[in-house]
Amino acid sequence: MEKHSIDVIVNGDDYTLEVPARRLLADFLRDDLGLTGTKRGCETGICGACTVSVDGKAVKSCIMLAIQARDKQVLTIEGLSDRDGKLHPLQQSFIERGGLQCGFCTPGFIMTAYVFLAQVPSPREEDIRAALTGNLCRCTGYVGIVESILAAAEKMSGS
Amino acid sequence: MRDFAFLEPTSVDDACRMLATEGDEARLYAGGTALLLAMRQRLSIPSAVVYLGNVPGLDLIEFDETRGLRIGALARHADIAAHPAIRARYPFLAKMAEQVANPQIRNMGTLGGNLCYGDPSTDPPTCLLSLNATVTLRGPDGERVLKLEDFYVDYFVTALEQAEILIQVHVPPPAPDLVGAYIRFLKTPAEHRPLLGVGVTARYDQGFCRDVSIAIGASVRIPMRARTAEKFLEGNRVTAETLAECGAIAAAEINPLSDFAGSADYRQQIAQVIVRRAAARAFGIDMD
Repeated sequence: MEKHSIDVIVNGDDYTLEVPARRLLADFLRDDLGLTGTKRGCETGICGACTVSVDGKAVKSCIMLAIQARDKQVLTIEGLSDRDGKLHPLQQSFIERGGLQCGFCTPGFIMTAYVFLAQVPSPREEDIRAALTGNLCRCTGYVGIVESILAAAEKMSGS
Repeated sequence: MRDFAFLEPTSVDDACRMLATEGDEARLYAGGTALLLAMRQRLSIPSAVVYLGNVPGLDLIEFDETRGLRIGALARHADIAAHPAIRARYPFLAKMAEQVANPQIRNMGTLGGNLCYGDPSTDPPTCLLSLNATVTLRGPDGERVLKLEDFYVDYFVTALEQAEILIQVHVPPPAPDLVGAYIRFLKTPAEHRPLLGVGVTARYDQGFCRDVSIAIGASVRIPMRARTAEKFLEGNRVTAETLAECGAIAAAEINPLSDFAGSADYRQQIAQVIVRRAAARAFGIDMD
């Protein structure tokens, strides 16, 4: 099996790895780098549990080859907290507002919200709902998720 | 997913040569959002993938009042949705691009990939057909330009030859009195693929329809123009009654798909309503 060398920056760290062409970005993150916060859900580009940021854009890592991330900057849920473990305001907000139940979809929601808030720092509720149309949650009914993001947006733009 | 050779051309001509060399089992890969899914499900098992991500300049979007709109094949749906000239001059095209699939897919999926995949259950082909778009194809023997209508041959089949690559989409310049609308119909809001899409463009000339174009997609094997309905509206006065009749005529023109997503009868009834609504939205008529 032919391997391809890729250089990629993940959560601020440089990696150079040899991967087969068919390695998905989701598997690369989880299996090669051990970053298991990124989840594999539907594996068909619908549920959004595998959402990560690539060069500042939210993408689904289950329908993207690792090679496509070559020379790019990838950010996963592990990269949101401080190096000393202090949670990002979005993460803290999901805890405080009950933005999760089983938690499986949560990294995807938070990464989608993270990229969205970087573009729209003071969103309306309907903007948040539109931004989340590529993420599914089967537990919460979304109210807690939307409230968590609204609260985090206020905290982030206010402080 | 089966393993495959991953080829990385740095120019369109390189890519054409690779496709010609690799033969029928090679597939062109742009954003990957559709092809990779098919490969994972082993619906497609290419021996080689020719990746366009390292070919520069194919994602340009350019607008000029006299030449019209040129969209490079690798422009992503999110780029089209956000482009200032498209939002200003073809607002319904921008709105359509803003609704394709879901946000993360719009950041990866390209317009060229979407058009070439030939999947009927999507939005861009129908909207662009209503805008009289053409596509530029480049192959080993040079370039050719096809009307989008002639690009689609059958279910998942396009006019692309083995070593040809769609490099650009061209939309004619907008008339000063251009109006238009695109409406996608979803059975439930949670779905990402339209059951039906309708694009309507026209010139709205003091209450009369001119140069009407009505495109219907997703419920038919390939996107199509509703020519009889267009002829009916042409030169006609825009009223709720004429638009309702236009919807009925257009629905009678289609030979709908019939599958798990919707029977032919159902799709035909929906088409009547959505054509009427798209025309009403294009002309700014208040009707349901």
